[in-house]
Amino acid sequence: MRTDVQISICGSAGEGTIAAGDILRNALAGAGYRIISFDAYPAEIRGFGKCVARLRATTEQVYSLKEKSDVLVCLNDEHGIPHVADVRDFGAVIYEAKSITRLAEGGHVSAHVRPGQVPYPLPMRELSERATGAIRSRNLVVLGYLAGLYALAKDPFLRIIDTKFKGKGAVAEANRKAFEAGFAAGTETFKLDMVAFGPAATGLQSVMLNGNAAVVEGCLDAGIDNFFGYPITPATTIMERLAIEMPKRGKRLLQTEDEISAIAATIGAGYTGARAATATSGPGLALMSEMLGLGIMAEVPSVVFVSQRGGPSTGIPTKTEQSDLNMALYGSPGDAPRIVIAPTNVEGCYRCAGKAFEMAERYQTPVIVLLDLYLSNRYETVVMPARPPFEPNCDKPVAKQDLGAGYKRFALTPDGVSPRTLPGTAGGMHVVTGLEHNEFGRVNEQPDNHEAMSRKRHEKLLAALHHPDFTHHKRFGDEGRVALGLLAWGSTFGECLAAMFRARSDGIRCAAMKVVMLQPFPVAAVAEFIDQCEVVLVPELNFQGQFARLVQAETGRTVNRLDRVPGAPMAVADIIAEAQRLIAATRRKAA
Amino acid sequence: MNTKPIYLEDKLREINESGRLVYRSRSMPTWCPGCGYFSIVDGLPGALNDSGIAPKDTVVVSGIGCSSRFPFFVNTYGFHTLHGRVLPVATGIKTANDALTVIAVGGDGDGFAIGGGHVPHAARRNIDLTYLLFDNGIYGLTKGQTSPTSAIGFRTSTSPYENFDQPLNPLLMVLTYGATWVGQAYAGRPQQLEALIKQAIAHRGFSYLHILSPCVTFDKTDKTYQQLGDHVADVPAEHDAGDLAAAIALAMKVDRPALGLLYRTMRPTLADSLDAVVEKAANKGIGGRRRAA
Repeated sequence: MRTDVQISICGSAGEGTIAAGDILRNALAGAGYRIISFDAYPAEIRGFGKCVARLRATTEQVYSLKEKSDVLVCLNDEHGIPHVADVRDFGAVIYEAKSITRLAEGGHVSAHVRPGQVPYPLPMRELSERATGAIRSRNLVVLGYLAGLYALAKDPFLRIIDTKFKGKGAVAEANRKAFEAGFAAGTETFKLDMVAFGPAATGLQSVMLNGNAAVVEGCLDAGIDNFFGYPITPATTIMERLAIEMPKRGKRLLQTEDEISAIAATIGAGYTGARAATATSGPGLALMSEMLGLGIMAEVPSVVFVSQRGGPSTGIPTKTEQSDLNMALYGSPGDAPRIVIAPTNVEGCYRCAGKAFEMAERYQTPVIVLLDLYLSNRYETVVMPARPPFEPNCDKPVAKQDLGAGYKRFALTPDGVSPRTLPGTAGGMHVVTGLEHNEFGRVNEQPDNHEAMSRKRHEKLLAALHHPDFTHHKRFGDEGRVALGLLAWGSTFGECLAAMFRARSDGIRCAAMKVVMLQPFPVAAVAEFIDQCEVVLVPELNFQGQFARLVQAETGRTVNRLDRVPGAPMAVADIIAEAQRLIAATRRKAA
Repeated sequence: MNTKPIYLEDKLREINESGRLVYRSRSMPTWCPGCGYFSIVDGLPGALNDSGIAPKDTVVVSGIGCSSRFPFFVNTYGFHTLHGRVLPVATGIKTANDALTVIAVGGDGDGFAIGGGHVPHAARRNIDLTYLLFDNGIYGLTKGQTSPTSAIGFRTSTSPYENFDQPLNPLLMVLTYGATWVGQAYAGRPQQLEALIKQAIAHRGFSYLHILSPCVTFDKTDKTYQQLGDHVADVPAEHDAGDLAAAIALAMKVDRPALGLLYRTMRPTLADSLDAVVEKAANKGIGGRRRAA
């Protein structure tokens, strides 16, 4: 039996909503299910904003959350009510049975449960208070209840509770008791809904990571030497995790005074041969763009992780968006080519992070890895490779006979990459500069030289299109000619895959293509894909159709845009609706 | 007191005879004849030579400006960066490789206008590098505009009706920022300058050497050899370089710039602090890596 259950837990900040979601996804992952999970919460650290923890547990690999949840848990009536409509037919709605305050007419969840949805009133406060003496643990009561109701094994839950509250003695004990009380209530409840957990996969050695944590694993596995950063939502957790992990391996991390300093120090470290990185979001990338130009001109390796959020300016710091593509591709004075890659899921974050260090070193350039808030914060179960799949050293060393007074740091070579010496190497002294320079690194403003060096800086990157052991782009779904082609980048590709599966089950021949390597652009592959589709739709989370415009400029083909800026992941239904409209229009024209 | 112009040929002959040529590149300085910076490009090789630091182990990092062309004129590793960003780049280099001797050079505009936000942090971290600040009180490379150390009443192309901004006092600033070695030199006194550069390099921690240097092309009235030569004075013999308050008092005497070592103290460098973090992590690591067994 296939399992595909999506659970939403809804409450106020401070009610333990996110914590409950965290325990639940880890327990289900521990039980062997695949997980994809994305929480939404307010920017304020404290207060009474709404939080929604949402996770989908499956036995098959999936790529996005479902629009409708199977189970909704309301820790709080006010915040739960708007979400009741998002529960599927024959799904479950669990809510507080005994409110301690008088609720106005229609103020209780039970008044909003539709026929077909199954209500489960649960005295959460009372059970929590009886078990622990306080109402605080009702989030654990609910978890116990879910486990009891759906006959889930207790052990994975208890293990997670013990780990999470380790060293907080009484709290762990209280939470265990609350969980047991809920579990007892769950087993005694007669299950009326059509939600079921089948047996989980056995032997799936997966770990639970969000995109930022996966980036950290990729950095560590690629042997990161130095990290310099400045806090900014939603990239900060990359630095926070590295700050714990890097010193354990004898590596140095420094919080700098601003993003300019962060990228400058990253480039300084890269100049000495270290594998160095920084992480930021759109506003930080804006500050870094001049320094990126120096990295490009001086041909120094560096890696920049950019987790996008709503813009422009300070924008919407806690909402997701894909609107920094243009800045990542072009932001710098002059012709400033750099490598830009964008993973589409959490595992991709790990791969792209590690590969970014290889590429930065091999092509001697800044590499930008574009994430977004949705990808940074979304949890997935990832099967980690047994051994780091990254090359530890991709530097192009200098032949002994080329050292000495005539050493050419920026020698023009067939592949455009010049062998470099690192400080400390005798006979390899040279100056790197942001000024245009000749092969020796000496300032040179002659037209022929500027032309040759500009060509070198651009053409050396083309080899990245064939960088080994890296998925630059990939096509899914029907092969050959198709009625509908979905073309996407970044986290939105997950929704495109979901839309593709839906379209195919509706009888539409459909394929979806993800593009991970955004610069240099895989022109031939994308053009070939477009040519095989009757209709091409490019869904993305920005207002300007930044990726669609890139595709059009690079391939000379016209594509249809679906630009949305809801601050949330793209709705699969929107993709389907737009695709159907386009297909109908195309067919009408053909008829 | 040396107020005579300094000729390139003379300097090159001197360098030849001193055996310091190994530290000089084959590029001739692009500065105007008579520029105070010639003393510095002579002083640094001398100091490195005397200190026994090999060119291959030295990185000279600069920002943008007349002074920042410096790396091209010395035969070491060099990084000519962006306007105002010399200290962050130098921080990255030194953090990644302790074995390198890192010399940051830049002008008054580079360090205290556009790059002013970085100086306090380099100083408070006590990163073990030497910052040579060439102060000529003007933007020379862009042909004579007002700088953050230009005097009130100074007339430039961007202050045609005279500068009205209070000039900064960089010495006073770095003393309060927490620099652990602070000195001042004058390009018109090259022997003292070279000795101070040598001391600054020898210091373990962030050393800041403020170098007063005339711009002979765009400043005919204010910080000239004549003016500066008449006003500079050695740090008094009785000055206690371990006394921060005394150093601050000296730094505040802007009409009588004190030449010599103003302040010196010792505390852990950035590398010491980062090594201590590594040690703490080894003894008491937090969390665990997420890899399935």
